[in-house]
Amino acid sequence: MNTPSGPSQENPRRDAANWAQPVQKLQVQGMPAEAPNLVDGRRLVGPLQGFGKMWQKTYRVRLEDASVTPPALIETWKANFSSLWPRGNRFYTPLTGIAPGEVALISLAAGPMKLSTGVMVLYADAESFTLMTPQGHMFAGWITFSAFDAPKEGASQEGEGAEAACCVAQVQVLMRAQDPLSEIGLALGGHKAEDRFWSSTLRALAARFDSEAEPEIQIACVDPRRRWTEAKNVWHNAGIRSGLYVAGAPLRWLRRSGKRDDAG
Amino acid sequence: MPVIDLTGEVNSAAEASLNAAFTEATRNSPGTVLLNFAPVTYMNSTGIALVVALLAQARKARMQLLVCGLSEHYRHIFNITRLADFMNIHEDEASAITAATAPAAES
Repeated sequence: MNTPSGPSQENPRRDAANWAQPVQKLQVQGMPAEAPNLVDGRRLVGPLQGFGKMWQKTYRVRLEDASVTPPALIETWKANFSSLWPRGNRFYTPLTGIAPGEVALISLAAGPMKLSTGVMVLYADAESFTLMTPQGHMFAGWITFSAFDAPKEGASQEGEGAEAACCVAQVQVLMRAQDPLSEIGLALGGHKAEDRFWSSTLRALAARFDSEAEPEIQIACVDPRRRWTEAKNVWHNAGIRSGLYVAGAPLRWLRRSGKRDDAG
Repeated sequence: MPVIDLTGEVNSAAEASLNAAFTEATRNSPGTVLLNFAPVTYMNSTGIALVVALLAQARKARMQLLVCGLSEHYRHIFNITRLADFMNIHEDEASAITAATAPAAES
């Protein structure tokens, strides 16, 4: 176990093209004018940078009756990502689609208000893709969407070939609330809302393959400690920023009108 | 200091063996555990999530998790995922062991 070794550099990595390039701050490009952009200039934050308890939430749907391969399922999922979300929520897909390094904007229905945030595609290959959150998102973390073959329920391990296997679609969220306000929000219904969100998405995905399978949920607390040094993240809170953005709409309208008048 | 060599592909299939290796390595509650990535040939985002889970376990047990043997590509991944903010990264096992056994010099 203790043989001296250094990094191996000889071969180009097979996974290199699947990962986003390092970025200091996010830059949003090619989005429609109506997409509220509160993401430009933000840093990415992973599950280690947040404030609250760290959770791993796994949502799975088994497509027992559908004949689809994991790559075909992921292709469909990427191509229809936005339309599979529950009504009232919007994912502004980048022009080049879900590809490593691309930034997408998000508008989420949160009760009576809209929450504006975004994500960067951290990783994408033929059988999975991962989104990473920016500062201000309700939680700091990664969401990995994947598909894989698994034995059908009741099928013997010895197998009857492809007929004994079915495709499973999975959403796995590794997250912690970004700040104390988000932690309270998650505890007071945010977690349940998220569970409903991804269950609904998986149901919609299954329906694309004529399946009425019900999603399963597994939740594990990976780290029960809160990181009080990150309480300052509240400065970037998307809920507060979205509220300010909406409140500032008349001012932005007046400013644009003034510019038009000056030009005329 | 226990050293865990990660070999081949670090993806969802590696979860059971990586967790078993971590349990074995931390059986006697060492202060530090070293993850050696030099033999890794492929890692996806699920693999990175496994490393995060190990890091969380180590922090809970008040252990330090060190990393060595990262190629330039994997250093980029550790930077972009911001794992590098939380883990001491060393060039190779020798330098990691030296650093771990000389804490006074580092602090």
